[in-house]
Amino acid sequence: MITISHLTMRLAGGGHQITILDDVTLEIPDKQRVAIVGPSGSGKSTLLGLIAGLDRPTSGSITLDGVEISVMRESALARYRRDHIGYIFQSFHLIPTLTALENVLVPLELAGMRTAQDRATELLNTVGLGERLHHYPVQLSGGEQQRVAVARAFACHPPILLADEPTGNLDSATGQHVMQLLQSLHRDYGTTLVLVTHDHTIASSMERVISLRDGRIESDRLTDPAPRVAEPPL
Amino acid sequence: MNRFIFKMAWRETRGAWRHFLYFFACIAIGVGALVGVSLFGAHMERAVTKEARGLLGGDLEIRLTRPLSLAGQAVLSSLGARDIVFTHVSELVAMAARPTPGSFMTQSTQIIELKAVESAYPLYGTIRLDSTQALDAQLHPDERRCGGRSCFGAVVQESLLIRMGLSVGERLKIGQAMFLITGIVRTEPDRMANAFTLGPRVMIAQEGLLAAELVKPGSRVRERYLVKTPPAMPLEPLLSELRDRLGADSARVTSYRTAQSQLKQFLEQLSRYLGLIGLTALFIGGLGVGTSIHAFLRDKLRTIATLKAVGADSTTVVSTYVVQAIFLGSIGSLAGILLGIALERGLPPLAAALFASDILDQLGVSSELSQSSIWPLLKGALLGLLSTLLFTLWPLLKIRDIHPGAIFRRDAEQSAVGLENAASRWWVRWGLTDGWNVGTAGVIIVGLCALSVWQAGSWSIGLLFIGATSLAITVLFVCAQAFVRGLALMPLPRVLSLRYALGNVVRPGSQATGIMVAIGIGVMVIVTVSLVEQALLSQIQDNRPADAPTFFFIDIQPDQAQEFVSLIDRQAEGAHPELTPLVRSRLHAIDGKIIKFDEAGEKDEKRTEGNEGRGKQWYFTREYVLTFLDRLPKDNTITKGEWWKPGQVFSTPQVSVEEDAAMHLGLTIGSIVEFDIQGATVSAEVSSIRKVEWGNFSTNFYMILSPGSIGGAPFTYVGTVRVSAAKEVPLQQAVVASFPNISAIHIGDVLDGFARVLDRLSLAIRAVALFCVVAGGLVMAAALAATRYRRLYESVILKALGATRSLIARAFAMEYVLLGAVAGLIGLSLGSILAWALVRYVFDLPWSIHPQVLGIGLFLTILLTLIVGFASTYRILGQRPLAVLRHE
Repeated sequence: MITISHLTMRLAGGGHQITILDDVTLEIPDKQRVAIVGPSGSGKSTLLGLIAGLDRPTSGSITLDGVEISVMRESALARYRRDHIGYIFQSFHLIPTLTALENVLVPLELAGMRTAQDRATELLNTVGLGERLHHYPVQLSGGEQQRVAVARAFACHPPILLADEPTGNLDSATGQHVMQLLQSLHRDYGTTLVLVTHDHTIASSMERVISLRDGRIESDRLTDPAPRVAEPPL
Repeated sequence: MNRFIFKMAWRETRGAWRHFLYFFACIAIGVGALVGVSLFGAHMERAVTKEARGLLGGDLEIRLTRPLSLAGQAVLSSLGARDIVFTHVSELVAMAARPTPGSFMTQSTQIIELKAVESAYPLYGTIRLDSTQALDAQLHPDERRCGGRSCFGAVVQESLLIRMGLSVGERLKIGQAMFLITGIVRTEPDRMANAFTLGPRVMIAQEGLLAAELVKPGSRVRERYLVKTPPAMPLEPLLSELRDRLGADSARVTSYRTAQSQLKQFLEQLSRYLGLIGLTALFIGGLGVGTSIHAFLRDKLRTIATLKAVGADSTTVVSTYVVQAIFLGSIGSLAGILLGIALERGLPPLAAALFASDILDQLGVSSELSQSSIWPLLKGALLGLLSTLLFTLWPLLKIRDIHPGAIFRRDAEQSAVGLENAASRWWVRWGLTDGWNVGTAGVIIVGLCALSVWQAGSWSIGLLFIGATSLAITVLFVCAQAFVRGLALMPLPRVLSLRYALGNVVRPGSQATGIMVAIGIGVMVIVTVSLVEQALLSQIQDNRPADAPTFFFIDIQPDQAQEFVSLIDRQAEGAHPELTPLVRSRLHAIDGKIIKFDEAGEKDEKRTEGNEGRGKQWYFTREYVLTFLDRLPKDNTITKGEWWKPGQVFSTPQVSVEEDAAMHLGLTIGSIVEFDIQGATVSAEVSSIRKVEWGNFSTNFYMILSPGSIGGAPFTYVGTVRVSAAKEVPLQQAVVASFPNISAIHIGDVLDGFARVLDRLSLAIRAVALFCVVAGGLVMAAALAATRYRRLYESVILKALGATRSLIARAFAMEYVLLGAVAGLIGLSLGSILAWALVRYVFDLPWSIHPQVLGIGLFLTILLTLIVGFASTYRILGQRPLAVLRHE
């Protein structure tokens, strides 16, 4: 369960303070698939980043499975992220000096997993990159890079998967492929999936859609049990 | 986790070799200088240890300044019963003359360093001669070679033959005897590392010396008896016994261990001080390492943020990059070791020139690596690694400030790597409010001090070195900052290229300050060395007083004095020869307390000599050349007591003592000093203390007795004569022809000799100091590489807007010239101040500005920055705008 209570985020910029998030309160039960939507600057990515502990809120709290992460020290937070959260970025953020395999190995090795190599290979096979294990990010297409990022995010089987516009930098066919991948991982492992998107089709394929505007929740609704995006051949 | 750190460090290094080229080079250059110098030191020390007995010429050496008494000879003869062997060697300065006039280009007379030996010489080591014939056979040629008569042979240094236009087989007159030149001597085992010699070596037999009639009462001669003991015999009891039994002869007895330790001490100090210059190069390189790491982290910002986002904590990330830095430092150190080995192979020719002798050949110094090379190599590697760590710790700590949120916001990059809020206090900007930062800063400071103390081998020198280096860096930094800020306040020039050049220097994040500091230190070191050298050279060459003598004639016997003066007057009218009587003595007692030459005191002296120049013991045990004078010599001033009145008669002889000697010997007005003059004791009462201007090119004395005090003593005269250049050679020839025992020392030649030694010493220091300048150049290259992308981006935008390649090149050139000029000016100013302090307070010499040194220094610095600048950025000039902007 993700519990967000009176979350406010302000940043200094141009000599005055800008409120990015303003008193946001919400709960996301385990295994739910949630889309966060809203116009640019509404605070979607900041909210997702705060849930992942990538930044500290100005006020309010974030509790993940009863653990309040907003008060954790940086090192503890990093370890918590390693064990409990997978994060996918819009612009992939693969480490350019590492191969695809090594990028996936990073969280596994950080967790001290003995079978890291096998697990990373298996994950890359799962996302269809078995032939591209030793390629560097620069040698991969955008879709391939994002699939490596998905494999990396999912490497330690995190109970929570956060994705910030995972298809934002991809063409529609590749984007659809990546979404199918996320849905299947959610289905197979019961992961809570929270994603930020501009795409209404993707949003409507989630169980719940939270809409933000000017840092506040504009609407929060459960979607009709609509047909899911067709699953990829894994 | 640990495995992750190592794996990640390797992965990060693997793909970024080019990033670290300057990192390696900066470490390699410093380590190279250090390893080169310490390898040279170690190899020299190894050779000295191996050849220790050869260097002294025996297990023991007995040294006297007058012939050994009959009782003393009996003591030595008695040693034969214990299977102890000895041989007698006499060394003195003399004049050699051609029996027939040579060509116009050659000299008819020449001052020589004469050495008379017996057939047993050398007891240890080997003498290298040009022919295969044994030394003794060459010194006693058979009658056939001498035209059917018995004659004496002489082996000479080749330089004598060149100077006098002679060759082997010709004759040479020394004193009253004629010698056949039978061979050429290359090296002698017991000719110690003399940086300075008065003339070429000539070796003759003892019988030849006797025939030459050079040694007269009071003559300046060094009598040495070299002693070889059976291998199993312990040396110390014999040493004490001989000191005791030869005490009456005022003999100095030393063992090969003492002689060896003196040479070792000299070599140790030489390599220690050269090593400190090497350490400066390493520290300058450290600035480049810091710059490289800083630039690397700027590039790695997103990677670090990503690592943190996927669960790596700060400790893990910092550790990863520390491991990477250590890895890179190891590679740099390894390259430095190879560079050091190459440097060490280049140092012996420099050192050979420095010693002005074949000591390296003589010692058999080899550059081959052996067990003794391990420590210098290891030390170099360790110094390289430690300095890498110290110079990378601070930039790496910034990793802690990189927030994973930096992935989302570009502005976070700036706060994370270096561009802190300019409005906050400096200690806040420098992160000194954070415990970790303060702790690390402490570790870095202590670490740098420890490295310096380790290299200097002394707490005081090490801390002085780091203190002076820190002060220099601080002053350079403050000056460079003041310049950049001043430039920022000035109105922008209208010329675009100049405006762009100035913009590059003053913009936020510019590396100008770092570049100026690094180049400035290198310039400072090399300019200091050059200025000190110039000051010393001009002191001995240009600042010679107008009335300085041309010649010192030594060993003038009392019965020759009158005739000598007449000869000079005849040969050179108006030369005004001045004769000063001299007699050699040692201190026998002060205020009734007998002075004993004790070994413990000698050891103490050696310890103090290394640190504070002449130790107290030196004043007690040295030989004093006494004189008696009516008038106070020029440039002497009485500081205590009174000089005697002309013609005044004293019941007790009076003595005037030089102030330093008085202080060390504890003498005051009224103290009674007893001198041992060739076995006879003379007492004198201290009546005055004098201050002496030692550098006035005159005869100066520690002790001057009142006239008539030593009437019966075996004194000789030293004569000073000033003649015009045209009369120098005829005068010298006339004196040698009339008085073969009198030696003529030409002051100009002596000073030229000193200048040569100084020049060689300075060359060796500058060779190592050059590493500092190269390190400064590398720091500049590293700093320019760090801003390469920004320069590339800006230059293609300028090109897109219509700027030509030459305009951009001009802008770059102006920027580099500006950096070079300012760094050069600051470095030159600091170097001048440092040189002034050294010349004025350490060498106690007058200071003058040398515009040519400063001008050349500034020109070379600007040239250096131009070359390094263009070598680092010329590729940018050829880039096509679209190719670059497409990737944006």
